[in-house]
Amino acid sequence: MQMITRRQLAAMAAAMAAMGTGAAGAQEMPPHERELHEAARREGEITWYSGQYSAEGSEAVGRAFGERYPGVRCNVVRSTSQVAFQRLSQDNRAGVAQCDVFSSTDFGHYSLLKREGRLLKYRPVNADGLLPALRHADPDDTYQSSFIGLYLLAHNTRKVSEAEAPKSWTDVLDPKWRNQLAVGHPGFSGAIGIWAVQMRKMYGWDYFKRLERNRPLIGRSSIDPVTVLNAGERSVGVAVPSGSTLLSIERGNPLRLIYPTEGVLATISPSAILRNAPHPNAAKLFMEFTTGPYLSQTVRLLYGESLRPDVPPPEGSRPLDQITLLAPTQEEAEKGVPEVRELWRDTFGI
Amino acid sequence: MPDTTIALREPGPAARRTTWFGRLRHVEPVTLLWAVLIAALLFLVAFPLLKLLAVSFETQGSGAFTLANYGTAYGRARYVEALLNSLTLGLITATIAVVLAVPMAWAVSRTDMPGKGFTWAVVLAAFVMPPYLGAVGWILLAGPNSGFLNLAWRWATGAEDPLFDVYSFAGLALVIALHSFPLVFIFVKSALDLVSSEMEDAANILGAGTWTAMRKVSLPLVWPSILGGFILVFLETIALFGTPAIIGIPARINVVTTQLWQFFEYPVRVEVAAAYAMPLLLITVGLIAAQRLVLSRKGFVSQTGKGGERRPIRLGPWRWLLFGWCAGVGLFAVALPLLVLIQASFAKAWGRGLTLDNLTLRDYRLLLFEHEMALTSVWNTIWFSGVAATLAVGLALLIAYIVARKLVPFGEALGFLAMAPFVIPGIVMAIGFYAAYAPPPLALYGTATLIILAFTARFLPIAYANSTAAMRAVHPEMEEAARILGSGRLHAIRHVTAPLVKKALLGGWLIVFIVASRELSAAVFLVGPRTRTMSVLLYDLSEAGNFEVLAAFGGILLVITMVFVGIGMKLVGRDFMLRRT
Amino acid sequence: MSRLQLRGLTKAFGTLTVVDGIDLALEQGEFISLLGPSGCGKTTTLRMIAGFIEPNAGSIELDGERISSPGSVLPPERRRMSMIFQSYAIWPNMTVAENVGFGLKLRKLPAAEVKRRVREILDVVQMGHLAGRYPAELSGGQQQRVALARAIVVKPAVLLLDEPLSNLDANLREEMRFEIRRLHDEFRITTVYVTHDQAEAMATSDRIAVMNAGRIEQVDAPHMLYTRPRTRFVAGFVGRTNLLDAQLRGDEIGLAGFALRGEGVAGIAEARQGPVLLSVRPQSVRLHRAPPGTADGRLVLPGGIAGRVYLGEAWDYQVRVAEGEQQLRVAAPPSQVHEVGAPVWLGFDPEQMALVE
Repeated sequence: MQMITRRQLAAMAAAMAAMGTGAAGAQEMPPHERELHEAARREGEITWYSGQYSAEGSEAVGRAFGERYPGVRCNVVRSTSQVAFQRLSQDNRAGVAQCDVFSSTDFGHYSLLKREGRLLKYRPVNADGLLPALRHADPDDTYQSSFIGLYLLAHNTRKVSEAEAPKSWTDVLDPKWRNQLAVGHPGFSGAIGIWAVQMRKMYGWDYFKRLERNRPLIGRSSIDPVTVLNAGERSVGVAVPSGSTLLSIERGNPLRLIYPTEGVLATISPSAILRNAPHPNAAKLFMEFTTGPYLSQTVRLLYGESLRPDVPPPEGSRPLDQITLLAPTQEEAEKGVPEVRELWRDTFGI
Repeated sequence: MPDTTIALREPGPAARRTTWFGRLRHVEPVTLLWAVLIAALLFLVAFPLLKLLAVSFETQGSGAFTLANYGTAYGRARYVEALLNSLTLGLITATIAVVLAVPMAWAVSRTDMPGKGFTWAVVLAAFVMPPYLGAVGWILLAGPNSGFLNLAWRWATGAEDPLFDVYSFAGLALVIALHSFPLVFIFVKSALDLVSSEMEDAANILGAGTWTAMRKVSLPLVWPSILGGFILVFLETIALFGTPAIIGIPARINVVTTQLWQFFEYPVRVEVAAAYAMPLLLITVGLIAAQRLVLSRKGFVSQTGKGGERRPIRLGPWRWLLFGWCAGVGLFAVALPLLVLIQASFAKAWGRGLTLDNLTLRDYRLLLFEHEMALTSVWNTIWFSGVAATLAVGLALLIAYIVARKLVPFGEALGFLAMAPFVIPGIVMAIGFYAAYAPPPLALYGTATLIILAFTARFLPIAYANSTAAMRAVHPEMEEAARILGSGRLHAIRHVTAPLVKKALLGGWLIVFIVASRELSAAVFLVGPRTRTMSVLLYDLSEAGNFEVLAAFGGILLVITMVFVGIGMKLVGRDFMLRRT
Repeated sequence: MSRLQLRGLTKAFGTLTVVDGIDLALEQGEFISLLGPSGCGKTTTLRMIAGFIEPNAGSIELDGERISSPGSVLPPERRRMSMIFQSYAIWPNMTVAENVGFGLKLRKLPAAEVKRRVREILDVVQMGHLAGRYPAELSGGQQQRVALARAIVVKPAVLLLDEPLSNLDANLREEMRFEIRRLHDEFRITTVYVTHDQAEAMATSDRIAVMNAGRIEQVDAPHMLYTRPRTRFVAGFVGRTNLLDAQLRGDEIGLAGFALRGEGVAGIAEARQGPVLLSVRPQSVRLHRAPPGTADGRLVLPGGIAGRVYLGEAWDYQVRVAEGEQQLRVAAPPSQVHEVGAPVWLGFDPEQMALVE
């Protein structure tokens, strides 16, 4: 189990405070961005396969990118991470290059892509301004952190009171939650794959056999259970993203986040430029955008976690230093996700 | 031309040229056309399928011969189970569709049931509504805890259990059937239209009442059409991707299409997918053979063209029961799903119901003004479908003409190839296209060309059947009359035949356009980032279960479709979609 | 008591009265044809008898029981009738035997009985060897025989035939006429036969009801219709005739330029004095090259051949009567050749003449 230590988080928080609000007036384009922008304009567009952020969030990022860098359009291809990876694999199999930047919540994908030599090495200048823990996602700089996803429990407050609600990851195994749970699918959602690896690591596969007995409603994306809770179709969402849940609460849905006692699953996932990217300069520019304050500023409005100390975290989200973060290592993820996907299909039949 | 005449009279080499020219005058340009058509059909239909077959025996990477793909494809209980699930689902769905559609077809075709126009509208609407949208509508209606129907049921009866759980095998089958029954309806209705009333009168006078006559005479007479509709719905169902993904995954029912999708996960195993798809083709062939066998030498409605007076059967009060049936199907297939979808599309959170503070245009605004891909996909959908429809109808017309006029030997082979995609599950076709044309040398993956070609091939049979019917209506003598007066064949086609079949062709074009505009399973493996269609974007949106945006986008798709349906009705007549195609 | 009785039967579709107050009675075992041109209402009458159409007025009685009247129609399936349709309406999805056995099965007869009776009736119509065939494999005449067998096998109270031979070619049609009559002689089923072909009606029927414009003009035995037509329509429709305007004075019939004695002319007893219409069959006039020696008191007039058509079986001459403007069509045997323009003498036979309304 790799836990981000409290000390690290304290350091993050300190850095945040130190850098403060410096990002506010960052409309002036620094020279390295201006240079890339020039080159990117000639390419005109960038295609972004995204499994990070919600459909709405991804679209917002794509729009913000286009606004900040006029003349470079971002084609957002938002899907679940495994589907995005599937598209990438199909492109590769067909010998066609369509994708410039690939973003997945299953960070295991990157060691695989890197080993196959399919990533372009690029160190965005802006990456130096990321939270210290995110600054060096890959020592070889083939990919850069672009997403902090927090996955936890949530419940519909009309169907289940706060007192009754489960408190921990294992509470949901209680038979009293039969037919009341909702969860995503590791065959689609990258984050659910990571979560499944983490749960297996903590409790063994038995965790899922017992979960199966409670007959959860299985969606595809990790965001799917949020909708299911909004509708009142199910009462408790398992491994739901904090961002989408908070956004849903803001829109008036009777939901509440539960921070499991064992800790919150954190997928700190990167993005990468493909070696055969048809628009390499635009892709580099996009990486600057991602690691710079712009992406964080955009996503925090939709309750996405900020990646930088100079952009405050979204409102209503518990500061990262106050929660325990759980995550498997990258090697565990790369090896584990395909395994749990198969196991899941055997256990759940789908 | 005098010069030519003189030249022709000269002896020597010129004379030889004369005979050559002379012979050329006997060659119709149509022969050349025939070669082009054969090439087009081989490219569109035969090659992708043969490639699929070949790939299923290839080792990934090396391309060496192997049987291992079949071992992998059927080596796990889960994979076999998916196949069995698909077959069961297909049978149940087709049965439900027949049960829904046959009484409607009988009522509209043979009886004095009121509200026939309304029933037409129901069938048309159910046909036009994309199945995945219907699926979303039904989740909103019949989710076990939150569906409006189940809430109403609990409220009315105080029951604990839901009335109907959409996340079940029955739910999946019903939802698919509610959108595929029009196929059975169209088949059976047009066959019943050909049954002369005397067939029923003869049974009546021998002592059979209306009910017995229907059961023993009218329906058995159209048995081939019922069977044909059944098979078609079966094939549509096992090839359907959207609905099983949207309902089947939460219901934990894995089917062939969702399993095929899994074979496209990393590492993409086209070989295994191809091997896995082969039984679908075998089943299809088996079904067609079985149909032939069952029907054997019995005669059916097609042989009873003469003596064609038709009078509606008077049903008395029973006609209201039949009308109730049609209205009920309309309610569940169209009205209720559409209502909840519209509600959801204007709702902040659809679960909160119809209140003023829950109303928003947010999702429409997002799609129309903010979503980067939404409008592009609308445009993609329109022009892909438009070009595909044009290609399909053009190709089909030429083939139908050549076959109908018996201009070339083996014309039937052309017809067979043109009809073949009819019985090939769309998703298998798409994988064939992926295997054949996605990689180099053509490297068409993700291009508009590939999607248009796939649509063209997939819907060629609709266009072909339409063109054949249109061609039958033009007696060859009309054309011959023009030719004997000195008009060349192509000239005659343009000035005599084409104007006569124009309306029918327009109808065919619109049908292809509409079914192509909602096609998902053939598109989902072939699209690229900028070539996504509305259906694929809808599918992407459906992953996160964001039904409000989904519903709004579905609303836009329906509005576009309705515009084209409206144009069709205006230009071709009310029933243009529902003639037998 | 009649087996089938139509009283004042009337049917109108909208403002168009198709059947207009028909009265007709059929005795048990009788074969009656409804003969008339298309649109005369004969098929509508038949379909009212079958119970497919409800009358607007009048009634139909079967064995004294009222089965059709406005507002109350016994459905076809409960009338114990059977019918043969213009299209035969042989169900193509059933074998010959299944077609024929259909009505028997509905009557809940035991399977063995059904089988036996189907075999018997198929033998009667000479179709026994084709019992297992499907209709698509049969010729038109064979299908017709199946239709006959299917209708007869149920021993109906009344057998209805709606132009059953109109889809057959000429030779077959003639053969089937006799077949239908033979079956009637064998089974004596009360039969109503609708046709527009007088030869068919004559060959098959005990009596013929000639219909025109929704009404029955005359009901009579075939030979009576021919020799004793009572209306202008019947005279013209049944066989060919010359219809001449005449004046009846006493028992003398005055024509344009000549007169003939009314003795022996049909209908003379009932006819009113004054203007009348005389039907002169082409066969009732004999042509002579010279004035015949003995006229037996018959009228003989001089005339000339105005035109001629050779029909193979006979000559059809146009003869102009010397006195007056009258032109007559006259049938003569093939051996009697008269050139156009040649003078002839016409001898009239009153036996084949009739005064008609």
